[in-house]
Amino acid sequence: MDAFFASVEQRDNPALRGKPVAVGGSSDRGVVAAASYEARKYGVHSAMPSMIAARKCPDLIFVKSRFDAYREVSRQIRDLFFEYTDLVEPLSLDEAFLDVTHNKKAIPSATLLARELKQRIFDETQLTASAGISVNKFLAKTASDVNKPDGLFLIPPDNVLDYITRMPIEHFYGIGNVTAMKMKKMGIIFGDDLRQYSESDLVTRFGKSGHFYYQISRGIDNRPVNPERIRKSIGAENTFSRDITEYSEMIDQLRNIAREVDRRMKKAETRGRTLTLKFKYHDFQLITRSKTISEWIDNFARMEPLIEEISSEIDPSEKGIRLLGVSVSNLEQDEDTRPGALQLTLEF
Amino acid sequence: MKFIVSSSALLKQLSSINGVITTNPVVPILENFLFEINEGKLVVTASDLQTSMITELEVESKENGNIAVPARILLDTLKNLPEQPVTFSIDEDSYSVEISSDNGRYKLAGENATDFPKVPNVSDDFAVDMSTDVLSSAINNTIFATSNDELRPAMTGVYMNLSDSNTTFVSTDGHRLIRYRRVDIASENGSTIIIPRKALNLLKSTLPAENTNVTVEFNMSNAFFKFNNIKMICRLIDERFPDYENVIPAENPNKMIIDRNEFLSSLKRIAIYANKTTHQVRLKIAGSELQISAEDLDFANEANERLSCEHDGSDIEIGFNARFLIEMLNNLHSDRVSFHLSEPNKAGLIIPEEQDENEDILMLVMPVMLNNYV
Repeated sequence: MDAFFASVEQRDNPALRGKPVAVGGSSDRGVVAAASYEARKYGVHSAMPSMIAARKCPDLIFVKSRFDAYREVSRQIRDLFFEYTDLVEPLSLDEAFLDVTHNKKAIPSATLLARELKQRIFDETQLTASAGISVNKFLAKTASDVNKPDGLFLIPPDNVLDYITRMPIEHFYGIGNVTAMKMKKMGIIFGDDLRQYSESDLVTRFGKSGHFYYQISRGIDNRPVNPERIRKSIGAENTFSRDITEYSEMIDQLRNIAREVDRRMKKAETRGRTLTLKFKYHDFQLITRSKTISEWIDNFARMEPLIEEISSEIDPSEKGIRLLGVSVSNLEQDEDTRPGALQLTLEF
Repeated sequence: MKFIVSSSALLKQLSSINGVITTNPVVPILENFLFEINEGKLVVTASDLQTSMITELEVESKENGNIAVPARILLDTLKNLPEQPVTFSIDEDSYSVEISSDNGRYKLAGENATDFPKVPNVSDDFAVDMSTDVLSSAINNTIFATSNDELRPAMTGVYMNLSDSNTTFVSTDGHRLIRYRRVDIASENGSTIIIPRKALNLLKSTLPAENTNVTVEFNMSNAFFKFNNIKMICRLIDERFPDYENVIPAENPNKMIIDRNEFLSSLKRIAIYANKTTHQVRLKIAGSELQISAEDLDFANEANERLSCEHDGSDIEIGFNARFLIEMLNNLHSDRVSFHLSEPNKAGLIIPEEQDENEDILMLVMPVMLNNYV
């Protein structure tokens, strides 16, 4: 979906149409969650601190996010996807991979299917979407970014290498900002430059991800569209309107967040063995600390002593903490996929 | 204040209590040794609040006084000095410590001794004597099966139950359980305590090789161990220990007796091929043959071996974590061990065939469920 949250706001409030809109808090600590295309012209983009966004675009209108509305649209489009295929792998509320090799409507061309789907999304939600079509997930995602908004772009199999050769490295799906910077320092500016490196070279420099970079630089991506992507962690976090400097307040806030994680864990009917706390300081330095135990972490009472233990080495009075997060990982389902073998426990 | 001491004698005493000091203590002063000089005797204390160790040695000194000395720097200095008498001069106003040797002078910043946390006093509510051999064998036999799970604090230590006929040490991590009983230690008024793992580990490394007497005194909250010129004080785990007697099966009818070393070396080979997460090995006992096998489906690895055994009972196939079995068998000394089994989903017992007349060792291990029983 194009400028998803912002588009939903413009749809529901005609006064916002054609104007630069940012979804997110306007306070001096807010962050832009989504920016309308009108706002993007000024250089406003998501994840930008609201203060900077307001400076770049003085006419920017901030609106509060309404996740219920976004979720509703998300559900609508997902229902539409399932009319075409069951192989739908959601990436976020407004993005998904669809494997339409064998689609339910037996539409012979993916381009025709995408055109029809885009039209139906617009009819149903009055919102525009962009589609990318190609032979694998990496290329399809790459293609979807080409013609936004309301775009439709196809990378046919014969053009794959041409296309990648001249693609800037930071546009590669799966190469983040940090890696892109690293690569640029190595002289890798375009896909072609990346292809000059041997697989072992890339693995030496980037670890496991090196294999992946080697492959995508050749347009190879054999990951299937996975309709049941396994959730790896479950968590919650909170950015505070003013920095926390008191230890007791930090613990209280962590407890509050843990209660939310508890609620989410129950909703998702899962539990894990690792608890991770995230602390972001006033200067944006981020540290995470985690602890794994042999018992299941399945409720707040299990989290509380771990939170106290992990936090004991954190001193908020030094720099002040702007964000706290709690998450549980090593989730049960990861283990359940392993066949057989269950260590029995003594019943005390 | 001034005192003179042999560098190697001091180093020896400090090294024996240095293990208590943690790298990042709760209060910075715990990075120091507390030195207390009284009538020519130097008493040194190291502590992490939970556990403290105290040692003493003779020094040459005319005055009494106290000072906290940074442990790391002092130890490193002493380690690198050739054996000789060294002089410590302490400025009681600035807490600065100067060490003079034949080689030169070293100055380090000490701290006010009164800031050092008070170590609880010995209040001998209860005392029992044992030999260092007995204590170290009790520790060695149990400590490996303690749990790391801090949410079940009782299981992170070793339980000790003194009764009028024997003393029982128990450890468990929820998957296995060790009960080590001595009939040569007993006490008329029974008592139970849980000793934290760290304290036991420290004891293990500090107990002298030559057999001497250890006095153990304890009350509700602390235990004191005294041997030679070393004292250790640890806070006890104030929790209820799991009701371990209930989980030990009274009668496991299926008995197998096997050569411990043969079985152990076989397990070490087979374990290489086991799944890296579950370490599952399969024991199949049929007649007087034990077949040990493992497979790792992720890598298509598999291995199996056959050993002969004495077997009394019906044929059985049961899975265990190889690492548990290896650790347990490693800690036994008997040439032959017997396995007492019942069902593939019930606890198995490992009992040494030959035991010291004063010892009674029982090891319990829970199976790993096999996904297919053929």
